[in-house]
Amino acid sequence: MSRHRVRMVVRDDLERSRLTVGLRLILAIPLGVWLALWSIAAMAASILNWLATLALGRSPGPLHRFMAAYLKFTTQFYAYLRLAANPYPPFDGGDGYPIDLWIGPPERQGRLGVLLRLPLALPAIAIGAILAGSTSFPGLTGTSSDPISRFSPGGLAGTVSILGWFAILARGRMPRGLRDAAVYGISYGAQLWAYLLLLTDRYPDSDPMTAIGGLPLREDPIRLSGEDDLRRSRLTVLFRLPLSFPHLLWLFLWFLPALVAAIINWLATLALGRSPAPLHRFLASYLRYQVSVYAFMFLVANPFPGFTGAPGGYPLDALIAGPVRQSRWGVLFRLLLGLPALLILGVYSSLAWLLAIFGWCSSLVRGRMPRGMRNAAAMALRYQAQTLGYLLLLTPSYPYSGPCRSVPEGPRIEPAPDPPRGLPPLGLEGPGPPPAAEVG
Amino acid sequence: MMSALAETTPALHKRRVRLAGMGALGLVGGGLWVLSAHALWHTSVPALALARVDPRSLFSAAFLKRSSAYERLLGIDRLLGELALLGVLAVYARRGRRLMRESAAGPVGTGMLLGMLGFAVVWLAEIPFSLVAVWWERRHGVSREGYVNSVVSGFLGLGGEFLFVSLALLISMGLARLTRRWWWAAAAPLFASLALLSSFLSVYLIPETEPLSDPATVGDVRSLARIEGIPGTRAEVQDVARFTTAPNAESVGFGPTRRLILWDTLLGGRFNRSEVRAVIAHELGHLAHHHILKRVGWLILFLIPATILITLATSRLGGLGRPEAVPLALLVFVGLQLITGPLTNIISRHEEAEADWSSLRATRDPRAERDLFVHLATSSLVDPDPPSWSYVLFDDHPTIVQRVAMVDAWQARNPGR
Repeated sequence: MSRHRVRMVVRDDLERSRLTVGLRLILAIPLGVWLALWSIAAMAASILNWLATLALGRSPGPLHRFMAAYLKFTTQFYAYLRLAANPYPPFDGGDGYPIDLWIGPPERQGRLGVLLRLPLALPAIAIGAILAGSTSFPGLTGTSSDPISRFSPGGLAGTVSILGWFAILARGRMPRGLRDAAVYGISYGAQLWAYLLLLTDRYPDSDPMTAIGGLPLREDPIRLSGEDDLRRSRLTVLFRLPLSFPHLLWLFLWFLPALVAAIINWLATLALGRSPAPLHRFLASYLRYQVSVYAFMFLVANPFPGFTGAPGGYPLDALIAGPVRQSRWGVLFRLLLGLPALLILGVYSSLAWLLAIFGWCSSLVRGRMPRGMRNAAAMALRYQAQTLGYLLLLTPSYPYSGPCRSVPEGPRIEPAPDPPRGLPPLGLEGPGPPPAAEVG
Repeated sequence: MMSALAETTPALHKRRVRLAGMGALGLVGGGLWVLSAHALWHTSVPALALARVDPRSLFSAAFLKRSSAYERLLGIDRLLGELALLGVLAVYARRGRRLMRESAAGPVGTGMLLGMLGFAVVWLAEIPFSLVAVWWERRHGVSREGYVNSVVSGFLGLGGEFLFVSLALLISMGLARLTRRWWWAAAAPLFASLALLSSFLSVYLIPETEPLSDPATVGDVRSLARIEGIPGTRAEVQDVARFTTAPNAESVGFGPTRRLILWDTLLGGRFNRSEVRAVIAHELGHLAHHHILKRVGWLILFLIPATILITLATSRLGGLGRPEAVPLALLVFVGLQLITGPLTNIISRHEEAEADWSSLRATRDPRAERDLFVHLATSSLVDPDPPSWSYVLFDDHPTIVQRVAMVDAWQARNPGR
């Protein structure tokens, strides 16, 4: 598969000036005014570009260059506003900014695709509203009055920038996860607008694994692994939601003892400085089961999951490390500390739902889940697992909000408890573990 | 040679003893089954020689023609739908096991998936037939349900159906894995217990209900419940007028949860007070004669042979404990349900007749009962005297002419009313 013709170029070193970050909104006002003026011109140019591309089958060079410069400036502006970059951006959308956009030269485009560009872009606009926030291009989109942006105001990029603001003021650096999450959102927004402005006919790619080059290699104590060939059974896709009902009911029934276990685990970890192994095992099973149920429901994986949450029981498996020592202060204030992660989780949950809807339509027609959607939804599930694992004290590691790659070897997986003697197994266990491979 | 014979003879003897034991057990079981069926069949309706009522004496020729045409198409549609159902399940029984590859669950979880998908393909296959029925009912002004709504509500309803199927398969397959061929002995009473629980709680699962507020009707419910020996029975109204114009009522629950559910299409002046009283008395008759509990009893009597047949049918595939046996088990179960449908209808008509009789005894108003039956037929376009095939296959109530004949019979026994 050829690479997207609109790509992010990241040269940011994460260092931030506390002064400019503290005043970032005010400092961005001149840039915002300039963007609004430029947007008026861009809107007129976009209509001309649409007509010209419809006639010629290719965007004319001068118009393409003008729109590309506009999109580069917009990207730089939002990278600055969302704290994904530190320096004040140039007003001409020139090259060399730490968060920059590379846009390929004009290419031939199908006229039908050009004619129907706006309706074709509707799914991407909905995804863009969650990832980039619908206000990321105010000159063109107006206010955030659409229902999706009300659901996640500011989108992923906006949410992480708020959290990043506090982190930078405290540490003078933007955390890598937050920066990459913001860049991922801005990157999707840029691809979306490049598609809408006819700079390319490539549909925006929601794949977080390809949005940014040089993703960090991480060995998180909670991560997802597995293999998936993207094939989806149309029959089980059609009935995916009702097929999930038994699992959702079981998950709810499991939630009640899990809640009790979580409270006991909190007290025990506070006392011992480490989660007791049986409680850790029980809560890890619950978490693994939840991941497999959501992976099935959101079409991140194909097969119907088992009911036990056994390790290795599902193609998309949550790898959960064993109990480790934890700071008692961190344990005591875990819920409070988890609030920022819950904010981001809200955005990722919206993303997973939306991708499930679009993925459902696509899988039903093609019998395959688009890789980008699958990987984005898998990342959302990974973040959800990490957040819940953090809140359940399965790990002291804070959830990593950005896209990343995982180290090939998984952390130690707890062995499944032996079945009770004297009775044949009821057969709710899944097959053996699949070979590990990262999915998001 | 001698030693081989010596070995064979005790084995043969043991086999014969086992067969004899099984036969005796079967005979005892069969006897108990018959005795139970006899007890459940008991009715308070005296032996009546119902006179033949000419439908032309009750309805206009135009109505008879219209209702007959209306019900004929619905009957044919339903028959074709059931044939399609059997066909689809037969194909699924042969090919359904391929879907095992879509599961990462163990045998029971995979069995659940196959069970749910079986119902899913059945639902898909039946969409055309249900749409024809909706079209026909809308055309005759009986239904107000939209086509899209019909399909969407059916799809959403699958969620509850899937939960039920999963639970049933969890129990059946779990028991089959634990007790091998004898799972049915535990499954039948367990399912009956669940049915009992479900009947007990069913009142809480009926949507869009509110307590009956009309003082006159509330008073009628109170007085009739006292007469029928079930004082304190509460009544509720269900909002169905958005979907249908057909009037109906039902009785649900038992003990503290017994309720009378009146559709709002029955109230609001469409039926006069005497007719509504007759409906109330009929439904109270069901509660007074414990028909809901009797249904559970009949369910046990159906489930015992049904589960034994499923055991025999699936033994070739390793028994119901194995997921690949689930599609076949579905075919056997649904096939048995369809085959025993006419018998189930006989039982249902028997109970409905008892409820009618109970209503006559409680209201002592044969004129209202007769008017009600005529009114019900005209409101729902019910064929008062359907053809035999339709009656045998689908009618779970006595025909209108039979019900009117029972009114006449009651009147003959109670002259002056």
